[in-house]
Amino acid sequence: MSGDNTIWDKMGSIDYRYVYAITIVLILIPVIRPLGIPMKTTKITVDYFNAIDNLPAGSIVAVSMGGGMGTLDELESAFLATWRVLFQRDLKVVFYSTTADGPIILDYHFKEKVKPENYGKEYGVDYVRLGYNPLGEPGEASFALSIRSVYSTDYQGTPLDDIPLMQNIDSHEDIDLLIYIYTACTSVEIVVRQWIVPYNQPSVGITLGCCGPMASPYYPGQLLSFLSGSGPGAELEIVGNVPGPGALINDAKNLGIIGLLIFLVLGNASYWGKRLTGG
Amino acid sequence: MALPFWDLLGLWVAAFFSFSVLSFLWKDNLYYKFGQQFVVGVVVAHNILTSMQAVYNNGVVPIMTKGQITLIVPILVGILAYTRLSRDISWASKYPVAIMIGVGTGSMVVGTLRGQIIGQVSMAITDVFKSSAPMDMLNGLIIFVGTVASLTFFVFTREHRGALGGSAKLGRIFLMISLGANWAAETVWYLTQMTGRVMFLYNEWLLKGILGG
Repeated sequence: MSGDNTIWDKMGSIDYRYVYAITIVLILIPVIRPLGIPMKTTKITVDYFNAIDNLPAGSIVAVSMGGGMGTLDELESAFLATWRVLFQRDLKVVFYSTTADGPIILDYHFKEKVKPENYGKEYGVDYVRLGYNPLGEPGEASFALSIRSVYSTDYQGTPLDDIPLMQNIDSHEDIDLLIYIYTACTSVEIVVRQWIVPYNQPSVGITLGCCGPMASPYYPGQLLSFLSGSGPGAELEIVGNVPGPGALINDAKNLGIIGLLIFLVLGNASYWGKRLTGG
Repeated sequence: MALPFWDLLGLWVAAFFSFSVLSFLWKDNLYYKFGQQFVVGVVVAHNILTSMQAVYNNGVVPIMTKGQITLIVPILVGILAYTRLSRDISWASKYPVAIMIGVGTGSMVVGTLRGQIIGQVSMAITDVFKSSAPMDMLNGLIIFVGTVASLTFFVFTREHRGALGGSAKLGRIFLMISLGANWAAETVWYLTQMTGRVMFLYNEWLLKGILGG
């Protein structure tokens, strides 16, 4: 075909492996030598921080841990910053996991990354982990009504009634803030339907970057705020003054996107070039 | 400082499977297929075990220790799901499915109506007037116009001509912008996942696992 050798054809048929190779090299640069690209914080992240920071001492925070290992790279900066902000304050935290991976992530974080004991927090008194329960939406509704209807023990098998922190906690009435973590984009509807609509429960969310557009309609009218992806996680590190891996990830992302943008421009130029020249 | 044996083994296993998945960027291959199927197998096994543990902790233990015998009902209903494995009694598996759909729908209806339909529509209207800041009002106005125009795009009972046609065209533009934003967010997410793997392979596997840094 005669048109196969035009500049537009060549631009549109670059081997996709070059895209990956260039992207990986660009990502690697800041990993080896961090660049410290400046970041600006957004109102939505400040609102997230304020939702926790404005809680009176002794408030109860429930964390619905719906994160998975497969998406940890994207969410870890938001998780770590949130745990640090929570543990730095005089708050009582109840973690429960709605994914099988949730307890693994919490184990890993509390043993390696953010040790609660370093913040003077004692298990059973300042925080408790209820473990994994495949709640789904009806289960979430039951949890809000009565925690004991879906959890009888913590993740170690200790009955809830034997845990000091859980003595006076059993329903949404005892919870001052819900941090709802999810990775299936439509799950934002669960927190709206089961916590916010029936109980007007103050709630914030953590989700993937790609789920941000689906959570946006609920902010600020229903959700107090939400963090979507590693970018807002890095912002929380700045707003909360809790350094973590987010800044480095942002550096790498900023550079990596350049490679994708170049090929995006080339692909579009090829399409329009061929169309305009009748190729 | 040398890592303990099990930590080092964990690093190498993680690196092995990270490379396995990344090898797909070159082309589909046996190494990738092995990694993919191994990881899927492990995840399924882990999910089965943790789900069984959850049923034991929150279903069986309260029956044994507190005498909450009513919990036998959901356990029995759950067991009925396995009757699908036998053709003769597979009809019984419809009961747990019916109960789950019924309970699921029932628990969603009120929240959907109040939170997602009435709540969202009322916010789309009131947001225009709620703030006194000009930019917030403009933002509210764009959302209101975008919502109405996008909805008219899905009106199929009348031909898209005149005012309806103009609104539907505007709606299509809003929908394209929305899909573009979703695509961008998705791409950045993949990029973050790649960044995480590159950080792991460089900082953990190469520096700590191989160079002992």
